[in-house]
Amino acid sequence: MGARFQTDLDASLHFHQGLIVLTNRRLLHVEQEKNGMTEFKSWNLEDVEELVIEEMGATAAMHLMQGGVSTWHWRITSGLIREADAFLARIADQQKTLRNDPSWVPPVPKDAEEEEDEEAFGDARKVAGIKGNPLIRLFVFSRPWFKLLAMGFLLTVAASSMVQIPPLLTMKLMDDVLVPMQSKTDDIHVHMVYYYISLLAGTAVLAWALNWGKTFVVARLAERVTSRMRRETFEHLQKLSLTYFSKKRTGDLVSRIGSDTDHISLFLSTSFIDFVCDVLQFLFTACILLTINPLLAVAALGPVPVVGFLVQRVRSHLRGGFAAASRAWSQMHNVLLDTIPGVRVVKAFAQEQREIDRFREADKHIFDTNDRVNKTWSFFTPLIELLTEVGVLLVWSVGAWSVAHDHLSVGVITGFVLYINRLYGRVESMSRFMASAQRASASAHRIFEILDVEPDMATTEGTLQVGRLKGEIEFRDVKFRHGSRQVIKGVSFKIAPGEMIGLVGPSGAGKTTIVNLACRFFDVSEGAVLVDGMDLRKIDVIAYRRNVGLVLQEPYLFFGTIADNIAYGKPDATRAEIIAAAKAARAHEFIMKQSDAYDSMVGERGQQLSGGERQRISIARALLIDPAILILDEATSSVDTETEREIQSALDNLVRGRTTIAIAHRLGTLRQASRLVVMEDGKITEVGTHDQLLQTSGTYARLHKAMQEVSEP
Amino acid sequence: MSADLNLELSKSGRLVLIDAAGVRHENVKPVRLFPLTDATHWVAICGADGRELACIEDVSTIPEEQRARLSAALATRDFVPIIQSIQKIRRAAHGHEWFVTTDRGPTSFSVENDENIQSLSNGRLVIIDQRNTRYLIPNVSALDTKSRQRLERYS
Repeated sequence: MGARFQTDLDASLHFHQGLIVLTNRRLLHVEQEKNGMTEFKSWNLEDVEELVIEEMGATAAMHLMQGGVSTWHWRITSGLIREADAFLARIADQQKTLRNDPSWVPPVPKDAEEEEDEEAFGDARKVAGIKGNPLIRLFVFSRPWFKLLAMGFLLTVAASSMVQIPPLLTMKLMDDVLVPMQSKTDDIHVHMVYYYISLLAGTAVLAWALNWGKTFVVARLAERVTSRMRRETFEHLQKLSLTYFSKKRTGDLVSRIGSDTDHISLFLSTSFIDFVCDVLQFLFTACILLTINPLLAVAALGPVPVVGFLVQRVRSHLRGGFAAASRAWSQMHNVLLDTIPGVRVVKAFAQEQREIDRFREADKHIFDTNDRVNKTWSFFTPLIELLTEVGVLLVWSVGAWSVAHDHLSVGVITGFVLYINRLYGRVESMSRFMASAQRASASAHRIFEILDVEPDMATTEGTLQVGRLKGEIEFRDVKFRHGSRQVIKGVSFKIAPGEMIGLVGPSGAGKTTIVNLACRFFDVSEGAVLVDGMDLRKIDVIAYRRNVGLVLQEPYLFFGTIADNIAYGKPDATRAEIIAAAKAARAHEFIMKQSDAYDSMVGERGQQLSGGERQRISIARALLIDPAILILDEATSSVDTETEREIQSALDNLVRGRTTIAIAHRLGTLRQASRLVVMEDGKITEVGTHDQLLQTSGTYARLHKAMQEVSEP
Repeated sequence: MSADLNLELSKSGRLVLIDAAGVRHENVKPVRLFPLTDATHWVAICGADGRELACIEDVSTIPEEQRARLSAALATRDFVPIIQSIQKIRRAAHGHEWFVTTDRGPTSFSVENDENIQSLSNGRLVIIDQRNTRYLIPNVSALDTKSRQRLERYS
């Protein structure tokens, strides 16, 4: 039942952590003083009237109100206001339950109360957000292909053991055949030469077949896992709200889904399986060496711990390097995605050189980070080779000594040298794995970072399925906070079904935010938006948006045909419906003039069409879904007066019989509106018809006059 | 609506539309609204000023004689060669050069970038060359194996 809130400032506005804990009956304040003492305060909830947040620029104060005055306050940075709001709501809830609960008896046994507090404090200590090692999560991710994974693993084991056989055979070949042959003993088995050589050839062929199967299976697996990763990341992105996208840069997201998944694919398909092979072969080899000759084996394996130590040292260094490299890639993507769509502005202001410099800097950043990684790397790999040589030398020294004292045959020592070259070859590629594992780990982390973002406006939250709405919209004391800024400061109004209202006001008054709230791109911070009397948050988002048509200032056309773009909101629309929508939107005629009429492709942003033409296609798009609620966000402000007239008559068709919220700077656009709502600084200042508002000579009259002056100099 | 229409040919061989009200519209031109995805439906008849006078939803519903006139008028404006086989596609300075055999004879053309190769539903492919001529492959899987392999490398 307990809740807690961590404050981050002290009374003198220095960073200092404090804790407010809400238990069943009390509110506690705990703060570590500078002198090491713990300050502790407690209030009975029944004595507390309420807690109030007062915003003070970049910080805020939470006042504890008793008897109408603030008897205590906490200070927090404004980033915490949202959390604080939620905490205050919990307190208010708790107070309500206390008051409504008739069985509640004020005096409580002290022990029981202590217990309550304990529970709340325990909660406070809990650390949230441990998501685990990204590489382990990567394997959890490949669970659907368990069979493929198991098969790949088996093939890997088989292929690795196959590699162990040739040195054993070589050893036998030497000691049983070649050495006796040279020393001209009578006991010569020439036929054994053929036997051993064909065995060697056989293992080589078998090893080839197994390796082939292994590589094929593993590459298949990797492709599936990364494809799932790309898909899920994109699907997840589609679920996230506009708030997320407004904070993220496109280039960063593109590079995460593009190049980071590629790193992971490479890791899974080659490096990881190589690593498993290496470990297995290393263990096999070590075992074989130990059984053949323990003394020689110890000499051979001598440098291995040194290598292990070095690997540990280099690892963390590399991971940091790779993470930096991935970020550098993101930065470069950002520059590209900034400059290429904005090329007209770049050229108009003759800033090509500046963009070239910006790109050069981003590119330099990439090679700088890569250089750093390579520096470590180039030192490390040859070092491993040197250590291999040391191992071989040790084997030769110990071996020579043993042969001299007749402890060892020449065959065994040859076998050992073969094995040890393999062994250190494995160690070297294991260290190579490390680089790719660190790179994949950094990449996987960046992917999971997206997947771990909880959609802040859960699409699952509202479950009420609605069909066609009547279109009554009510804003009931709506407040909205964007970051730490209060954008909407208590707005209430009601729109009847089929009514059109115009939102007017200076830039930054919060008009677009109202529209975004009505579309439920954001959720209100306080108050509620009701549609047909239902709280918008309770309605299934998808079902609701089917009722909403949106026409924006900058119409966005997707790459595809004109017909596809018109039918975007209703992919199964018939051709007759598409044509009817285009006619109503006054788009039919210019579409007929395109080289492929409705089948004409429109480019990335519909470059081949003029602004007015694009706008009319987007109006047709909104018309086709026949929405009950229509939102026009500056739908005519980006076109000339002539085109505006065309669009206006298209809009007149669109508006008929639909609840409409229209934002416009050109007040003439709103002549059909039954009421105009004037907003200023997040609040409604005037409501009325055009004539009424002119008479009150308020903000609207002032705006109108300014318009007149502009159009009639 | 098609029942109320009447298409005639003027002395100079131009198409004339007599609409439901009996008004004669000289020198009209037919426009396919979905030339690539559905050529036999939705043909608009436009006046000299480009305005739509009538729209035929299904060409097959109008009388034979009129349909012939309409088809003839459409045919003079139609130029969408159908690619039957692909001899070669090679990289050029800008984009790719195609060497093909079409229903209108062998030809070559160059395509600037991949966006000019548009894949429509049912394996239909439209290729728009540098001069804005459209070439159609009605069904990619109906091409011969060699042509298909050449195509796969570039689309």
